[in-house]
Amino acid sequence: MGKLVAYRLLFAVPQLLVISILVFSLTYLVPGSPAAAMLGTSATPEAIAHVEAQLGLDRPPLERFVEWFGALLTGDLGTSFRAGMPVTDLLAQRLPATLSVVAGGIVVALVLGVGAGVFTGTRPGTLADRLVTGGTVLGLAIPEFWLGLLLTTVFAVQLGWVPIVAWTPLTADPLAWMRGLVLPSLALGVTGGAIIARQTRAAMVTSMSAPYADTLTAAGVPRRTQIARYGVKNALVPVLASTGVTFAILIGVSFVVEKVFALPGLGSLMLTSVIGQDFPVVQGVVLVTATLVIVVNLVIDICYGLINPQARPQ
Amino acid sequence: MSNAVILDPADRSPAGTQARGVVQAWHRLRRQPSTLFAVVVVAVLVVVAVAAPLLAPYAPEATDFDAPLSGPTADHPLGTADLGQDLLSQLIYGARTALVVAGGSVLVAMLIGVPIGLVLGYKGGWYDRIGSRGLDIADALPGLMVGFVVIAILGRGMAVLVLAIGLVFCMNFARMTRAITLTERKKLYVESAHVSGLRERQIVFGQVLPNLAGPLAVQAAVFLGSAIKVEAALSFLGLGLGDDQPSWGGMLGLAAEHQADRPLMAVAPGVAILLTVLAFNLLGDGINDALSGRRTTGRRRSAVLGRLRPPTPPTLAEVRTARSAGPAPEAEPQPAPAGSGATPDDDVEVPADTVLDVRDATIVADRPDGSTVTLVHGVSLRVRRGEILGLLGESGSGKSMLAKAVLGLLPPGVRLAEGSVRLNGTELAGCSERELRAVRGTGLGVVLQNPQANLSPVHTVGRQLVDVLRAHHPLSKRDARARAAELLDLVGVNDVQRRLDQYPYQFSGGMAQRVAIAIALAGEPDLLILDEATSALDVTTQSQVLDLVLDLRDRLGMAIVNITHDLGVAAETCDRVAVLYRGELVEVADVVDLFDRPQQAYTAALLAAHPTADHDVEVIA
Repeated sequence: MGKLVAYRLLFAVPQLLVISILVFSLTYLVPGSPAAAMLGTSATPEAIAHVEAQLGLDRPPLERFVEWFGALLTGDLGTSFRAGMPVTDLLAQRLPATLSVVAGGIVVALVLGVGAGVFTGTRPGTLADRLVTGGTVLGLAIPEFWLGLLLTTVFAVQLGWVPIVAWTPLTADPLAWMRGLVLPSLALGVTGGAIIARQTRAAMVTSMSAPYADTLTAAGVPRRTQIARYGVKNALVPVLASTGVTFAILIGVSFVVEKVFALPGLGSLMLTSVIGQDFPVVQGVVLVTATLVIVVNLVIDICYGLINPQARPQ
Repeated sequence: MSNAVILDPADRSPAGTQARGVVQAWHRLRRQPSTLFAVVVVAVLVVVAVAAPLLAPYAPEATDFDAPLSGPTADHPLGTADLGQDLLSQLIYGARTALVVAGGSVLVAMLIGVPIGLVLGYKGGWYDRIGSRGLDIADALPGLMVGFVVIAILGRGMAVLVLAIGLVFCMNFARMTRAITLTERKKLYVESAHVSGLRERQIVFGQVLPNLAGPLAVQAAVFLGSAIKVEAALSFLGLGLGDDQPSWGGMLGLAAEHQADRPLMAVAPGVAILLTVLAFNLLGDGINDALSGRRTTGRRRSAVLGRLRPPTPPTLAEVRTARSAGPAPEAEPQPAPAGSGATPDDDVEVPADTVLDVRDATIVADRPDGSTVTLVHGVSLRVRRGEILGLLGESGSGKSMLAKAVLGLLPPGVRLAEGSVRLNGTELAGCSERELRAVRGTGLGVVLQNPQANLSPVHTVGRQLVDVLRAHHPLSKRDARARAAELLDLVGVNDVQRRLDQYPYQFSGGMAQRVAIAIALAGEPDLLILDEATSALDVTTQSQVLDLVLDLRDRLGMAIVNITHDLGVAAETCDRVAVLYRGELVEVADVVDLFDRPQQAYTAALLAAHPTADHDVEVIA
């Protein structure tokens, strides 16, 4: 197992390196000068020159990259032009809310997806299967932020079951933290759940009609054991392999869902930074989310290795 | 936000049949209600978008200061926005925005993605290795993030939005194009070893592009839906077109601000997005199904029908004349003669040591149109304790279906229509799953053909044996493991303690098949069914496994049904042999009699077609 983790970590390093090069080169893609873009049309040439010097645009790119990357390794992502704060501090403030809602969304997606997939995959062609599978088609199409809007309108604004401002930090009050996360996680997890449900259903149908299923059935293994132990574990192999992509999508969508629930996450930070062209913060957010996706994929791949013996390095 | 579409490479129709395929595809498309719904929704949407100025009661940005933020009124059926802008008109113009942005961005995604995919797939080698790794790395960037970055760099506007969303999806097109190009290229190399450079390129693209059209259409439809979702999300955040441009996402942004006082404001634009995305997704599914020839309507189709040939011509008589086999005493094929001791009639007394007693078993497959295909026709068989009955026949003769009927494992859509199956005198036909479970493992066990596929690939061999053992006996984990070790030892697996913790892929075919036999024996069955159990093994391994079977029969005294198409296997192991042809029992006889003096023309033809059959009989006799 240690070998698998080491191997996967080894792959993650070049991936992070390439991503950071891409992120670094963002400022070079801005038409004209990014400094002028940030300061607006009324900026004086002196101010522009000052900001350009601050961004290091007056020096050769390679020299700047080495410096930028070195700072990155020490956790220094530069300073926000709008907030005047270190980008790292801004990210640290916003990360808890994003991590919470993404974790909640992943849990909802997995529970709904695997649950619905196993339910439908063990009774293909029945009315129950068609109803639930029809539901997943809807789940794929529903815009997550609209679902969130409906959920808050009904449960927070109209019924008052949950507070309208949902966010409480985990450290302040764990129970309130969880209560506040219920609706955002639901809104975020439904589409991912629908994708996983469809894949799980197909994989479950395959694994329940595979020759080994016949072998075990004929040998007298009860259907319940058959589903719970053999069907699900075999079905998870193809499902897990494609789950990483689903979670990358989910992290992106959390930026939109966040707005509906007024969560103080990376999304609102990104939004103000995109509008204000605050490039150091944009770079920071992209780096953090990419790292998050890479870490989640790492965990998924390790789980994949735990489930599928042939994926472990020999 | 994007829906991953996993396309089965086998779903693609070959280039040659493309023209005919399109016509067929259209006919199939029409038979799918969900696709029809999708086409109607998309058509309505296009009409609304094009005719927006005619349909909308007001200009979308026209203000009405007498009725700001009104609820639904006669003048404004959906109410108004902050400055009294008519929401119905905004909804109608929003369709235009959605379609233009989504259509444009999918076009951009294709224009960027398809050439990348073509280059990677065609060039191969280092191009492909580096390019594919690049695509993998791009996976770490959530799609929406790409959109954010593009807008951060270039500012807001129609062109930027289209580019931003296009970049979100272009990698998917690149990946798909690469996969298809690669497949076609490989195919070409298999077909013709060397082709000149220019011709190769022509052939590759002549071959690739038609094959690409279908999957591209599917992807494009699905991504149109996804692009509309992304556009709505970006507009909702205020990053879409200008604030004065009507869009569904922008309307939802306004609705979010008025959740408390105008809760219904979110309904219409949300439903519009939902319906549109749903329609494009269903359209994609519909095109995919139509291209692959899969049908979504109609009743559950029997899984085996595709592989079945109707059990009509050629008849036995035709086979006889065609092959003009040697000893063919009878002109007309008849069901195996009753009273010969092999096929019991109802009035014949059943010997006490009969384990399996099949009478007049008829197995049919249901067709979607309600008719049936008969797979096995009125077959009667009887197997006694300690006896090995061979069930001999070519593929499609119904021998495996007969075994599956005995086991109660017939695939969906296939059923035992008539006849009885008795195990130790207990009727199995018509038994519930629960009743069947009582005899599975203890009454009968089965070993199927493919050694590796017979075992769950993600569980250790020990785990599988233990689960089977504990299904029959209330054993502790430790005891079950000890018993599992005994079983492995019994079937001739060495080093059992280590082997118990290994996975099936670590076993050779012969060893895996021994494990499958151990699983079948775990419940100590009275009847063991071997369904082509040795067919996938090489000859040496095959005879070792058959020796094991003979040895187990002698030691445990079970009855065995050995289903095979291999005359050698039948001759080597069986006491009696039943010959099946096109679902009918042709002949049942003692093995020596059958091989020496076949009573039926088909049997004789079968024997004549097998060069070593005579030799095997001599060995036995």
